[in-house]
Amino acid sequence: MVGPFKNWGLGEGEEGAGYLPSADDLLALDIAFTIYTKFEDYASALRIALFLDNTQYVRQIYTSTEDLLLKKQFSYIIARHGLVLELDEDIAPDDDDREALQEIVNNVKLSEGYLALARDIEVMEPKSPEDIYKVHLIDGRASASSSLDSARQNLAATFVNAFVNAGFGQDKLMTVSSESSSGASGNWLFKNKEHGKASAAASLGMILLWDVDSGLSQIDKYLHSNDNHVVAGALLGVGIVNCGVKNDCDPALALLIDYINKDDTIIRIGAILGLGIAYAGSQKDELRIRLSLILGDPKTPLEVLVFSAITLGLVFVGSCNEEIAQSIILALMERSDAELGEPLTRLLPVALGLLYLGKQDNVEATAEVSKTFNDKIRKYADVTLLSLAYAGTGNVLKVQKLLGYCAQHLEKGETYQGPAVLGIALIAMAEELGLDMAIRSLEHLLQYGEQNIRRAVPLALGILCISNPKVRIAQGLVHLGKGLLTLSPYHSDRFLLSPTALAGLVTVLHACLDMKSTILGKYHYMLYILVLAMQPRMLMTVDENLKPISVPVRVGQAVDVVGQAGRPKTITGFQTHSTPVLLAAGDRAELATDKYIPLSSVLEGFVILKENPDSHDDR
Amino acid sequence: MSIDVWGAPDSFLPSIADSLLFWFLLSRPRKPSSLLSHYPSSFSSSSSSSTAAAQRFEDSSCDSSSMPTVSVKWQKEVFPSVEIDTSQPPLVFKCQLYALTGVPPERQKIMVKGGLLKDDADWATLGVKEGQKLMMMGTADEIVKAPEKGPVFMEDLPEEEQVVAVGHSAGLYNLGNTCYMNSTLQCLHSVPELKSALLSYTNSGRNNELDQYSHLLTVATRDLFGELDRNVRPVAPLQFLSILRKKYPQFAQQHNGGYMQQDAEECWTQLMYTLSQSLRSSDSSEASATVKALFGVGLVNRVYCAESSEESFENESVYALKCHISQDINHLHEGLRRGLKYLTVQFVRFFWKRESNQKAKILRKVDYPLELDVYEFCSDELRQKLQTPRQTLRELENVKLGLKVEDKKKEHEVNMPTSEGSSNDSTEPSSMALDKGDDTYQFRSKLLILFALMSTAVSSEDKGQLTGIYDLVAVLTHKGRSADSGHYVAWVKQENGKWIQYDDDNPIPQREEDITKLSGGGDWHMAYICVYKARVV
Repeated sequence: MVGPFKNWGLGEGEEGAGYLPSADDLLALDIAFTIYTKFEDYASALRIALFLDNTQYVRQIYTSTEDLLLKKQFSYIIARHGLVLELDEDIAPDDDDREALQEIVNNVKLSEGYLALARDIEVMEPKSPEDIYKVHLIDGRASASSSLDSARQNLAATFVNAFVNAGFGQDKLMTVSSESSSGASGNWLFKNKEHGKASAAASLGMILLWDVDSGLSQIDKYLHSNDNHVVAGALLGVGIVNCGVKNDCDPALALLIDYINKDDTIIRIGAILGLGIAYAGSQKDELRIRLSLILGDPKTPLEVLVFSAITLGLVFVGSCNEEIAQSIILALMERSDAELGEPLTRLLPVALGLLYLGKQDNVEATAEVSKTFNDKIRKYADVTLLSLAYAGTGNVLKVQKLLGYCAQHLEKGETYQGPAVLGIALIAMAEELGLDMAIRSLEHLLQYGEQNIRRAVPLALGILCISNPKVRIAQGLVHLGKGLLTLSPYHSDRFLLSPTALAGLVTVLHACLDMKSTILGKYHYMLYILVLAMQPRMLMTVDENLKPISVPVRVGQAVDVVGQAGRPKTITGFQTHSTPVLLAAGDRAELATDKYIPLSSVLEGFVILKENPDSHDDR
Repeated sequence: MSIDVWGAPDSFLPSIADSLLFWFLLSRPRKPSSLLSHYPSSFSSSSSSSTAAAQRFEDSSCDSSSMPTVSVKWQKEVFPSVEIDTSQPPLVFKCQLYALTGVPPERQKIMVKGGLLKDDADWATLGVKEGQKLMMMGTADEIVKAPEKGPVFMEDLPEEEQVVAVGHSAGLYNLGNTCYMNSTLQCLHSVPELKSALLSYTNSGRNNELDQYSHLLTVATRDLFGELDRNVRPVAPLQFLSILRKKYPQFAQQHNGGYMQQDAEECWTQLMYTLSQSLRSSDSSEASATVKALFGVGLVNRVYCAESSEESFENESVYALKCHISQDINHLHEGLRRGLKYLTVQFVRFFWKRESNQKAKILRKVDYPLELDVYEFCSDELRQKLQTPRQTLRELENVKLGLKVEDKKKEHEVNMPTSEGSSNDSTEPSSMALDKGDDTYQFRSKLLILFALMSTAVSSEDKGQLTGIYDLVAVLTHKGRSADSGHYVAWVKQENGKWIQYDDDNPIPQREEDITKLSGGGDWHMAYICVYKARVV
């Protein structure tokens, strides 16, 4: 584990691949994988396996070591990546061990770790939207509406409250009632209008994020409401609570599946979207069967159809599942012209694209079929498929192609340039250099492009620098989880891209291309899809019993050391903290003590520390 | 968890309560047969339904079929080793859990393979294994009910009521370079006396001297002000604009196919002139001319020729007073013959640059106070008049603020003249703190001050006496480098004391501190016309 290889080759295999043209890079990664396995740096090998999205390799790594602790570390890495992995007896012969590993993979303890972090940083105190608006600083507009409720303001407050207190399990609007008998939560819920109530009920899911056990029981009472909007929100909330957390009992599936064929549209949407969020990336076959039926039914209302497709896209993200692709394509072909003109319909190609997210050439067959679509959606579908299939690959040729689209002058009513701009960002976000170039190209588009291009540029900048203060626009959700969460789909030193996180972001961004009819209209609950990308930006060190321990770490700006001779410093401008510690965008951490040895070379998320028998540290 | 059988939460659901007590015993890891002998009385006392249940139970205990033990997770609690009698319907199992958790069976959601556990499901098909972990969801919490009277949302109110809630009136849509007009209207709209005068103007009330367009323009102004008061959403002043352009064709000038940007001051002056014509009462006596009463200015111009030491006084009565400064006239002293209710100050920022035949803008910073004391500019006669009310005001303020403020007030009064720059008979002609400009505009760039003053010859007697102290109520600003471009915006103080920036259709709340920052000297909005309202005692 701490063999010489680690010292002279730290991370070079994986990072170096970024400098190679496509096809060669996969080869290089394959070799790197072999080398890492040979020299028993399994954690690094696992990263490459995840990058290659090769479950076979992942299993191979699990079986090539007997070290249970190491396997637990693997599980932590897999859990952060969002890979759904069913551990079998080959991986862990012992039942108890397997259960422990599976628990880590299923993210069951994520809530616990996150709350431990919050307690350590002392941010447990719930924050109200007013704290965030800093009303006390603006005397002009403070008390203007004290007497009357504005549904719009309350809805905004609902979302602010949900995102700020995400995962903390307590807030000042929704969860207070259980303590104070006045029932303030009921009050807040009903201070929202119609679908606003759905978002308010669903916000409970966001507040109780990852805490399946107590979260579900708190949401439960809303499922019995006689208000359809509230029920729909509660269903969505159930999905949000279960986001990224798997449970043997499949509570989300059990609770939601019965609602997807109800009569009421909003209840159906709530249940369907809830399933999509809860089971993103899981490729659950039962969902495919149930939702394909809805897609195939010509009587399905358009909204339900679109959300079913999105859910399938999220659940089967990057699976290249032909059957689902067929169902969505058929739905796109059978719907009337009028329906294809609806802004919401544009999410159908996105759902289709999600199936091929990052799968490059695999999209080609479907892309061919998309050429037969109705005029209204054809080009849009084409561009969307292309941009999603090459998302996170850094493929320069595709960026050029998309830039070409942006240079065209549009016939009236065409809208495909928006996704093209997003596509440039999605493809170029893969590596730092391309990212910088993309930002520059976007500046040109902003100056010289047509209006629909300019409108998409802020969104593109947002995804390029997500949760990175480099570009002002990406600071949108600064207060997200009181600053403890990141939306970045990249992890492990920006090497790995979590497909579910990216899928969530892409869906919201595409919805944002036509704000007025989606997010600002009655589909504001689509914002909750962002939850797929929400992860604590923490470094939590745990001991061999998985109990948090505090050790000194150096945190500083990451430095690219590929190809440099000797042992160059990997971080610069560092400070020493003790764990748990927050990692900002572009930060890297290294252990500042030799008392422990980390089981993963990249210090992010949960890292298991082993005592160093050769420690010279006197402390 | 209390094991007190009789104290179990049986007040809930009386219909199943008795059977529940019975099934509760099952959940304890003991042989049911032994329990049966312990509590035989509970059966005999139970209702018919529970007797039936008991009957069933006895049946099952006889055949002693498989009784897998499972652990049930509920919230953060785990109940280990709960026995399931697979020969009984799952409802029985739920009742066991009711006893443990207090969650009524119909609200229990138990996750099993393939979905929720149904009350009538068959255990055999579910394949519950020994030691399996089940998860139960549900609470005994009260179901959230909608409040009987839902909240009233601002968006649902009729617009008239929304105005009250919002606290300011609507904005005006820009109809293509019409920000000059929008900002002017917003400033004038803030004068309640003008509004009430317009309200009393009737469609038929036109007198003979008035031409038709003036009449129509007045009606349009009245209607537009009414609309502004009634709406929350921005208003499109289409009617007003078309009549304005008919009455004053210069506003309909076009350039490159679009209407040209116009001078807000010109719009202000023209509109004021029209209103002054139309808003006369039928008796057409001088005093009853509303606009004249509100905005009319009496001037005493003293023209002094330095060469011949000649001096002449000129009495003028205009709606707007313009004081031009040129090389020939060395002294220009403005006096205010009469007290004023509103005071409008125009900073003449635009002038014609002769060398380049261009309109140019003076970017110089000119400070203006939120509270203006015009005592220095007043004629001696008027000063005499002002003496008493000023004294009263001072006393009032002292009472209001306590004695300490007196010092402050004095200090303030000392500061005022310096901030306003000049005294009446100094050689510096401008009364505002404008230094000499660049050489190019050394003289022309002097601020021309337009006092469009609202006289209170009548009202001062009715409503109190003037003090010579004025409070800022509206500012019309211009943003941009040159005279033919840029943007006009109105900043208006509302009745509740809050400032609103009317940027065409977009009213934005502002802080009072920001209002004084509009004094120019940069690229930010700079004051062009200020309206001050007299403080009376």
